[in-house]
Amino acid sequence: MSTVIQLALAVGEPAAGPAEGPAPVSLADAVAVAAAAEEAAVAAIRLLDGVAAGHVLDPTVVGAYLAGRHDRVGYVAEVPTTHNAPYNAARRVLSLDRATGGRAGVALRAGDGDEVSQATAPDPGAADPVRRWAEYAQVLTRLWESFPRAALIGDQEAGVVVDDALIRAIDHEGAFYRVAGPLDGPSSAQGRPVVVADLADFGGPLGVTAVARSADVVVVDRERAAGADAALTEALRRAGRSRKEVALLGRVEVAPDDVASSPAAAALRDGLRAWAGEHRLDGFELAPTGGADAVIAALRALPPRLTDAAGPPSPAARPLTLRAALGLPELSAVAA
Amino acid sequence: MTHLHINVNILNAGVFGGSWRFPGTDGTASYAIEHYVSIAKKAEAAKLDAVFLADGPSLDPQIRHRTANNLEPTTVLARIAAHTERIGLIGTLSSSYNDPAELARRLGDLDHVSGGRFGWNVVTTAGAVAARNFGRAGEPGHALRYRRAAEFTERVVAAWAGRTALVSPQGRPVVVQAGGSGDGRRLAARVGEVIFSADQDLDHARAFRAGIRDGAAAFGRRPEDVVVLPGLSTVVGGTEAEARARRELLDEILPGEYARNRLAAQLGISLDGLSDDEPIPAELLVDPDEAGGSQTFYRVVKTITDRERPTLGRLLKKLSGGGGHRIVVGTPEQIADDIERWFRAGAADGFNVMPDVLPSGFDDFADHVVPELRRRGLFRTDYEGTTLRGHLGLGLPAAGPYERRPLEAAL
Repeated sequence: MSTVIQLALAVGEPAAGPAEGPAPVSLADAVAVAAAAEEAAVAAIRLLDGVAAGHVLDPTVVGAYLAGRHDRVGYVAEVPTTHNAPYNAARRVLSLDRATGGRAGVALRAGDGDEVSQATAPDPGAADPVRRWAEYAQVLTRLWESFPRAALIGDQEAGVVVDDALIRAIDHEGAFYRVAGPLDGPSSAQGRPVVVADLADFGGPLGVTAVARSADVVVVDRERAAGADAALTEALRRAGRSRKEVALLGRVEVAPDDVASSPAAAALRDGLRAWAGEHRLDGFELAPTGGADAVIAALRALPPRLTDAAGPPSPAARPLTLRAALGLPELSAVAA
Repeated sequence: MTHLHINVNILNAGVFGGSWRFPGTDGTASYAIEHYVSIAKKAEAAKLDAVFLADGPSLDPQIRHRTANNLEPTTVLARIAAHTERIGLIGTLSSSYNDPAELARRLGDLDHVSGGRFGWNVVTTAGAVAARNFGRAGEPGHALRYRRAAEFTERVVAAWAGRTALVSPQGRPVVVQAGGSGDGRRLAARVGEVIFSADQDLDHARAFRAGIRDGAAAFGRRPEDVVVLPGLSTVVGGTEAEARARRELLDEILPGEYARNRLAAQLGISLDGLSDDEPIPAELLVDPDEAGGSQTFYRVVKTITDRERPTLGRLLKKLSGGGGHRIVVGTPEQIADDIERWFRAGAADGFNVMPDVLPSGFDDFADHVVPELRRRGLFRTDYEGTTLRGHLGLGLPAAGPYERRPLEAAL
């Protein structure tokens, strides 16, 4: 499998003063970044929600907008559990996925609840973000499959829009949420949107266990990369899944100086390959610091040569869905 | 004189229950994003004020028989924003089933992303089906839903007014409101800038508009800061006979079981055992203010039944599986006559047009009715501004002081 690349991008307005980490690029610059990402054949742009260095636009809105401008790259919208009822989040992300022909996903961020769900939470005392994440992700995946594409038949002669026998309520009742379903729209071309889990949210070995049931992509930073593959493999086995069903990506911050010259970029590429080999990573999440120019420079310097010495594949040869671009197998149904 | 305002309501395949079966129509086109984008582009070419998306966070239980909302509005409108430059973008989002902090941010961001073209249609979302997707066993009471909506809307507007980053060229989104109930009218008078109403009768519509304007004045607002747009379902034909034939065909292809089920569900009563040949017994329809569900629709049906005493069969045909909005059938000139009459009588500032079939019914409206309105000097020949507020002639009234009060959960 070739190396998978996901670009981390914040879109919005930079803060007035100096701040740490990636700074938001403007919406107009984000369109240029999306074009460069498409050209570089990266699998997806992960749209960050909230960074220290400025004000960030809602990632589902930005993803939907950018997909209207550049539709041959995937879009992963960060959505926190905080302030988002799962039915609403499921609808937005699936709508984005259907509008992109199956090139969308969600980076579900662990957090608190939302005002609407909290009022009727089955266990009002439940508060652990890790447990909440696991339940939330399961509600999402089940909702996304509650109205299978095959149910939409549109038989004008017989007057039947959908075969409603194929559509099922999910009737979820957990500690945090009670959600009936089904969703209002059919499943997407890739089966369901990709779920990205960021181990930075989970701290400690529990994290891998919590995400094993629902995650399609797991992102680790340098500190957590050692042993992540083994822990993930074991957690997936216990959840009845295989390591092949999940892409493990290592996050790497790229400073403008890292790609300022050919030798610098070559050294970075070598370093990344060694890192991936050592920890059995399936790819990288590139998080360039600096403005739009720096992001585009990083895209030009790194991804094509990271994935394939011959450069990016021709558009016709590219995978049709985000799931395929991530090297993930086609889906079997989610276990009930 | 001022121009009238026209939105197109992209109600999936069209306003009628059988729209999706209309000959020559792709029955499932409304399940793909391109349907919405191409209609929005056509609306922009016709210089309309805005596209409008109705919505509810649930699967319509009648989905077997007719197409329904199936894409989330903020993502659809953001996509349309990427493909258009001027057309306004109005989306329906529930005040009962959203967290105000999240919604204020997302809608304000959509307004920024679209260059100041967004309007928020505040709805309280009737029905137990949606309630069950948010942990509720049943629909919250009508009065509670509207108390929450008032506080919720003021809180969202205050958040928009307080933004210092990622601001929008129109200052903040336009607030649209559609409730026809007593509670809905109060909310409209207090915070509504565009009122999407449902009215069958010109005199009643004129009184409704005057009431909204007086109500706004009572809240210290200028009457001209409120634009009243009744829903108008259109069936356009090259000749009157063609238009009538089109209307009859829409009746014929209305899935029969659907019309009955929908009426029963919307009124919250059982029609079982009632034949198509008998009138609806008067005692089944209580006073609208006491009805649950959608009072606007209830009111429309009660007015028709009180006035005309139709048989159930006739009533079903008259509503034709639509939303209870007024239906005009005719040539472009006849439809323009109707629009002009309502506009000049002070019954409407314009219309939220609900074409019979999408896209064909809207193509006919844009290609033939809009030019006729233009010939009469009633509609703009080009956009003068770039924002939804600009198109609607709405300024940016001061948001006023907001004192945060507790928000009641919709339970």
